Amino acid sequence: MNKSHLAIDVGGTFIDFIHFDPASQSLKVEKIPSSGALESRFFEGIEKLGVSMENLQMIVHGSTQVVNTIVQENGAKVGLITTKGFRDVLELGRGNRPEVYNLFYQPAPPLVPRYLRYEVSERLDYTGNILTPLNEPDLEQAVLALQAEGVEGIAICFLHAYANPIHEERAAELARKLCPELQVCSSSEIVREFREFERTSTTVLNAYTQPRMSTYLKKLERGLAERKYKGSFAVMQSSGGITSSKVAQQAPIRTIQSGPAGGVIGVAELGKQLGIDNLVAADVGGTTFDVALISGGALLERSLTHFNKRPALQTTIDIVSVGAGGGSIAHLDAEGGLQVGPQSAQADPGPACFGFGGQEATVTDAQVVLGYLDPERYLGERMKLDVEAARRVIQDKVGTPLNLSLEAAAAGILHIANMNMTYAIRQVTLERGHDPRDFSLVSYGGGGGLFASALLEELSMKQVIIPQHPAAFSAYGLLNADYREDLSRTFVKAHADMMPSELKERLSELEREARDWFNDQGLDSSNVKLERFAELRYLGQEHTLKIPVEPTDLVASDLSGLRNRFDDYYDKAYAHALKDHELEFVGLRLSASLASTKPSMKKLAPSSALLQDAFERMQSVFIAAQKKRFECPVYAREKLQAGHSLVGPAIVEEWNSTVLLLPKQSLTVDDFGNLIIKNDATKKVKA
Amino acid sequence: MSIDPITRQVIRNALVATAKEMQTTLVKTAHNPLIYEVQDFGMVLTNRFGQMIAEGSGLPGFLACLPPTIQSGLELTTFNEGDILLSNEPDDTGTHISDTVLYMPIFYKGDLVAFSAVMAHWADIGGMMPGGWCPNSVSLHQEGLIFSHNKLYDAGVLNKELHRFILRNVRYPKLVDGDLNAKISSCQTGARRYLALCERYSKETVEEAMLETFKLSEERMRREIESIPDGSYSAEAFIDHDGVVRGKRHRMQVNITVKGDSMHIDWEGTDPVAKGPINHPFVGTAALCATTLKSLTMPLDATNDGHLRPLTVTAPRNTLVSAYYPAPCDSYGYVAEIIVHLIVRALAEIIPERCPATTYQMCAYSLSREGEKGFIGGEPVDGGGGAFPHDDGPSGIMFAGNGDAPNTPIEVMENRYPMRFSEYSFNLNHRGIGKYRGGYGVVREFQVLEDNIDFKSSTENNQNPFWGLAGGGDAGVSTIIINPRSSAEIILNERTDNLWLSKGDTIRIESPNGGGWGKPEERDPKRIAADVKNGFISLDDAVKQYKQDKDLLEKLI
Repeated sequence: MNKSHLAIDVGGTFIDFIHFDPASQSLKVEKIPSSGALESRFFEGIEKLGVSMENLQMIVHGSTQVVNTIVQENGAKVGLITTKGFRDVLELGRGNRPEVYNLFYQPAPPLVPRYLRYEVSERLDYTGNILTPLNEPDLEQAVLALQAEGVEGIAICFLHAYANPIHEERAAELARKLCPELQVCSSSEIVREFREFERTSTTVLNAYTQPRMSTYLKKLERGLAERKYKGSFAVMQSSGGITSSKVAQQAPIRTIQSGPAGGVIGVAELGKQLGIDNLVAADVGGTTFDVALISGGALLERSLTHFNKRPALQTTIDIVSVGAGGGSIAHLDAEGGLQVGPQSAQADPGPACFGFGGQEATVTDAQVVLGYLDPERYLGERMKLDVEAARRVIQDKVGTPLNLSLEAAAAGILHIANMNMTYAIRQVTLERGHDPRDFSLVSYGGGGGLFASALLEELSMKQVIIPQHPAAFSAYGLLNADYREDLSRTFVKAHADMMPSELKERLSELEREARDWFNDQGLDSSNVKLERFAELRYLGQEHTLKIPVEPTDLVASDLSGLRNRFDDYYDKAYAHALKDHELEFVGLRLSASLASTKPSMKKLAPSSALLQDAFERMQSVFIAAQKKRFECPVYAREKLQAGHSLVGPAIVEEWNSTVLLLPKQSLTVDDFGNLIIKNDATKKVKA
Repeated sequence: MSIDPITRQVIRNALVATAKEMQTTLVKTAHNPLIYEVQDFGMVLTNRFGQMIAEGSGLPGFLACLPPTIQSGLELTTFNEGDILLSNEPDDTGTHISDTVLYMPIFYKGDLVAFSAVMAHWADIGGMMPGGWCPNSVSLHQEGLIFSHNKLYDAGVLNKELHRFILRNVRYPKLVDGDLNAKISSCQTGARRYLALCERYSKETVEEAMLETFKLSEERMRREIESIPDGSYSAEAFIDHDGVVRGKRHRMQVNITVKGDSMHIDWEGTDPVAKGPINHPFVGTAALCATTLKSLTMPLDATNDGHLRPLTVTAPRNTLVSAYYPAPCDSYGYVAEIIVHLIVRALAEIIPERCPATTYQMCAYSLSREGEKGFIGGEPVDGGGGAFPHDDGPSGIMFAGNGDAPNTPIEVMENRYPMRFSEYSFNLNHRGIGKYRGGYGVVREFQVLEDNIDFKSSTENNQNPFWGLAGGGDAGVSTIIINPRSSAEIILNERTDNLWLSKGDTIRIESPNGGGWGKPEERDPKRIAADVKNGFISLDDAVKQYKQDKDLLEKLI
């Protein structure tokens, strides 16, 4: 029996479908608009692909359901139960004003209004000792009151429950027994870390998104069952690992970044296959530029992320996003400075050159003016672009007011957009102690190819890699994801007081939980790969660094190896290690993953086709650095063969993506069909 | 030479990004909660003349104080590559001596091109009180160590004697030393990025880009001022006492003149320097006037020297807002709040739509102990924001002058200090009613778990409360209760110093609400009903205070 895999990635405008058949090693791609009821679109696409359900072993879904519920604020009516004296924590938040000059700064309103927040008598101290037992009649009264108010779910968050979940567990048990129709979730089921506001907010976000997400996934499960699907159905998490649909229904909060995670995982896998372990993943869409870092083969992660000013504690790929993409609008600020984005013309009305009535000068319009895009052949001739409209908006909105020629104005817009992208890349590299020159840039998403060469030049990165099917690369990434469970525990303890045996004991507890989790999912827990980390800081500091714990640390006579590793990491990040300063544990993390079968990249078949065979036409392109137009050859990507190489200026075109190669850059097609762009001139300077 | 507008913008954006990066470095490497939690800091890049080219986040007042500090350094000393200087003389730095400036000259190929500077509250600065918290000093010399552009590093070499001297004279040397390193890292980040820009565009181009940007920012600010009707506008406010002479209140007055595209702010009518430490140095006053003007006109644009130019500030010498050596300044924060709110109050007469009602006056406390198990823990307490001309004020937010400071989670406090909290909630004692009501203050109640702990609190304007606008109710007052609900209960409506606590003592802090905006009877009944439903106000009080029909409200609830 064949065991094929299907990935379904929901985006803002399209749903991408990618089917992988291991027997023939073939990939099949489909794309349908993501408008209307997603559940029916989901099956429409599967039918359009013509995939046989019997042969299918695995479906992986990248979903935007949870993030949309949070952004649109249309989640469920939920209640909150807290420790006595602390029901207002959710609304009080952290009290800071990120916009220090803004006299009208307003924090996000609470997702649970005050009248739906109840207190019960109970209290633990920070080590988890019980100071006041849980008052069960209090709890039952609160649950019944919330039920009477008509809530769909209840969130429970008690002080210091990260140290000991005993009261939360009992409270959840009682609530479930009392009102089995309500979805109940306690903070310790979601995250075991300190900071009561952030943990409450995370629990409330989970309860708030749960009914919608679980209805959605149940519909999909039903639809799959009706179609006699027998394989597994998994959902991408923010961490870049997948989880079962069942877990995603209990803990939807883990899927907030489900959408963008796929592409980053695809980049990590691509790196493994190419033997490159320092990569920057860059996804260029219509509105945003999203970057993530892979250093030494490991993804950079974070444990706290804000969505619409609301915090969520969860393991998330550290994706930095700036408002720069094809639809980004160029405008003059109040001081006459040129700015690009974050506002976007989106799909409707879109850039002026689309001819849908857009009156703003966008990045795409600038690319048309400069000749990067052929107006007759946009999207494989599916759409004709209005060059005159593009010229008019660039001249009127930017050229005339700044007293610049049309082409200087268009080049200026692209330069500002490019610089905004470099700040995002600098944020994930330089600000974390990495040098961008040691990294390769993997550029995907429909718009990536027109920026990659300029980013390469600006940051002197090693090379740019543009994979096959760059516009559907996020879906491809889903096929490469492993099952994953992340666990954490907060506790504060001096490094000097911690023995390797205690560290081992604390980690074993997390390991047991992780293995139980895999067994519960019907997965084989014996092959699970475990990565252990300690959150450490110098005594007196607040912020921690996440340091890997090696198996050798646990059998050593003391933890000096871990200590030295911390000093090294610190020195790299902040250039100021304090080698004789005391060290402190703030917690442990464990990441457990189970490898899935992945599509192996197929080498292109040997071909005697010449580069000339891929030549399409000459196109006039304005190059900003030389301040003049060049006649550039345009090549069709699908006709390029392994080993072909060209020098800039040149253009490589496929139906939904265009790559611009600048003068002094070279492009080679590798054995797998990836385009590799290098700054040969820079390399000489460095040598 | 004129620079093309694209390069100018690229350089400006790069410098703004650099200042933010300096901030990230400081916060992530600091050892002192006042920096990493309370964000009691500011950092800037200036050009070689000490003019601000970009700023990080932090306290707005700090940001505008840094350029004058560097300018006085330029007058006083000469710089070598690799120098790192310390300065905290209030006459130069504009605040109190705990806010010590660390700055470094940036050299490109031997030429001075710029400065990077960080101002942050030290964990301790020596002096009569731990943590630089003197509610009753009468001379600057009691408040701690004074640095006057002293070189901690001279041409790249650590001045070991000065370093040892500093650490011997502060109470928490490890914290102070850790923070010194954090500040150095932050300044070095700024320098590295600035030099990379010089390498890329030439030092002349970078300088020229910013000088042109100053011009554009100034023009824009002038247009903003032009949109404010010409005229003279005044306002006054009072302070309860100066911390030393308890019975005497102090008066402050602002006089604002708008003429065409310039603004002048004068402080004639303000009382002379006080005996206690509530005085505010003039440099700081001028800085706050500038940042308040920016808040009212262009709050979201990246600040530079150009924005500060259309404004002039004057005050008679040695008043509460123009104190000079040796006036004690440690509690300068109360006057700082009033400076901001008085300017807004005066301008509300003509541009009410841009002016919120007053946010609460500062409320903060600290716990400390010296010696072997010594510690210092303190926090500003959130309170109510002033109501907006179009919405209710935010509840449980930091007072205006303290910028982006977040509160400290209770779970973190209990891990760190011998404290156990029993309540963190809204303070329902609220009088900032109005068409839009002020935000609610908070209650923070805790027990101390050890003996021999020194408790101090900072409150002001409890007898002379802050005000609402356009008919809205006043801001509230701070109340601190020792051992509430017991026979030994003590209710304090003024700040305290050196109250010694024993194991088991309970402290309850009730912070004030913000002022209201507009007449209470104009409030939308739906908003009143929501407040009743959420238990912020009882139905009977709502009917009374807002003069609303009870039946209508009941229907809406």
